[in-house]
Amino acid sequence: MKLLVAAMEFRLALARPRLLALNVMVPVALVLAISLGGAPVFHAAAVYTVLFTLFGTFGSSIPLVRDAESGLFGRIIRAGVPRSHFLLERAAGGSAIDALQLLPALTIATLGSISLNEWIRAVLVLWSSVWIANLLGNLVAAVARSLAETALFSAVAALLLLHFSGVFRTPSPQSSWAVVETLSPFQALHETLFAVLVGTSTEVPLGLVLWVLVLPTVTVLLARPITRSLRATRDG
Amino acid sequence: MNTTAADETVAMDSGSISLIEVCGLHYRYASGSPVLIDINLEVSAGEIVALLGPNGAGKSTLLRLLLNELTPESGTIVGPLLSMKSGRVLMGYAGEESAHFNSLTGIQNAHFFARAAGVEKDEVSEVVSGLMDLVGLSDEADKVVSSYSFGAKRKLLLLEALVHQPKLLLLDEPTVGLDPISRDALAHILSKCSQEGSAIVMASHDLNFLEQLADRILIIDKGRVVSSGSQAELLSSLGTATRFQVSVDAAAIELPQYFGDNVELVDDSGPLVFETTRGQAALPDIWAALISARVKILGVEVREPGLAELFRRVTGQELPE
Repeated sequence: MKLLVAAMEFRLALARPRLLALNVMVPVALVLAISLGGAPVFHAAAVYTVLFTLFGTFGSSIPLVRDAESGLFGRIIRAGVPRSHFLLERAAGGSAIDALQLLPALTIATLGSISLNEWIRAVLVLWSSVWIANLLGNLVAAVARSLAETALFSAVAALLLLHFSGVFRTPSPQSSWAVVETLSPFQALHETLFAVLVGTSTEVPLGLVLWVLVLPTVTVLLARPITRSLRATRDG
Repeated sequence: MNTTAADETVAMDSGSISLIEVCGLHYRYASGSPVLIDINLEVSAGEIVALLGPNGAGKSTLLRLLLNELTPESGTIVGPLLSMKSGRVLMGYAGEESAHFNSLTGIQNAHFFARAAGVEKDEVSEVVSGLMDLVGLSDEADKVVSSYSFGAKRKLLLLEALVHQPKLLLLDEPTVGLDPISRDALAHILSKCSQEGSAIVMASHDLNFLEQLADRILIIDKGRVVSSGSQAELLSSLGTATRFQVSVDAAAIELPQYFGDNVELVDDSGPLVFETTRGQAALPDIWAALISARVKILGVEVREPGLAELFRRVTGQELPE
């Protein structure tokens, strides 16, 4: 396996230092504003979760649609990169870059309230969550027909999953929603951030593990229609 | 899906074995009129086939069908597999779009596409730099693609299509954006590819380029192949007659019967079209006959036998610039 696409993601990120700096500084600025503003912990965790999730989803879907519109996506597939490799490698490279770019923001958000082990755990949960968000971005890109649609669908898809993950609700462990939340992709990120901020521990993130495994499988199974749909973006 | 894959060992053999066979191909867009009608085409290893036709004739669509990117309505395309077992891609394609990773250098782009097409890591640098020299991109190899001119992007696109030495090369308007030196370099490269057994199918309006390279020409109009054959065969169908198209003032027209020896008026429905085997030597006779009949001449166009004239006669249209 040559991992050409994943390596290319890193090359592209390094080739655009201004964008790289903005992708680090903007989340840091937002996190700093919330931390220094003394927001309640539950709200702060929710805002961080939304920020990190949208970062992954938008960062994946919009460049993919842009590349589909320009014809670059079609050229890459035509050149011989297998469809599923392209989608998975792109999400893998993108999520690693996202996680690295969000690391300073995460560190600031959790500053002073976390041990090294907990920080490493938080980083792993963040990375897994942006991996899901990147894969979700691929799926969103496949159904969008323009950049505007991509932005809209990315926001709607991510916000719906954040809603199902319980990010916008007061926790109610006895309700039936609790089961849905446990199986939803971004509950782990929200719970982890919340736990770090209040200094408690979290359960094994079942929903996260499930989505980390299921979404790549879905991507592989749908690689052909996703590719066809992305090519149709160029044809209009 | 009617597209099937030929045995790849067959596809790899050179000589007279067909690399691609198209039989009774029909294609239409989902909600439109037919784009291609009953296309039959066979391309052998080492052969260069040119597709010539007006804009919208269906040439680019045919190339995309050969690439297996579109599904025919009916008919079959028997062609090589996209990938060989060794991992090297059999087809190369340079289309009309020249999308690249714009923030990376030309050489980074070329390396990516070469590796994607199966060129081994240890040979990619040598292959890419060799082609960069040939197409005249060496001086710009380390510049980011966003700073490239249109022509440089086209050269890079062609390089990326050629870099893995494909057995079947599909080119859509390959000379667009190329300066004469690069165009000659491309002709040289394609000729060498053909000698080494690669088949080439290209759509182009560049008649000089086609005359220089094409073993066979298919003229496509409104989705149908209206004429095909080698250049010699096509031109022999024209005969050796020269045509003159004379624009006249239609208000005062009363035409004479005689325009000189071996000169025939073949069309008087619009501009007058004369045909003669005497070449341009017949022009003074035509001129004199028209003037003596007090016909006001507005302009004269000479059409020597050639691909441009053939195209005009077969399609009724001028070749696009």
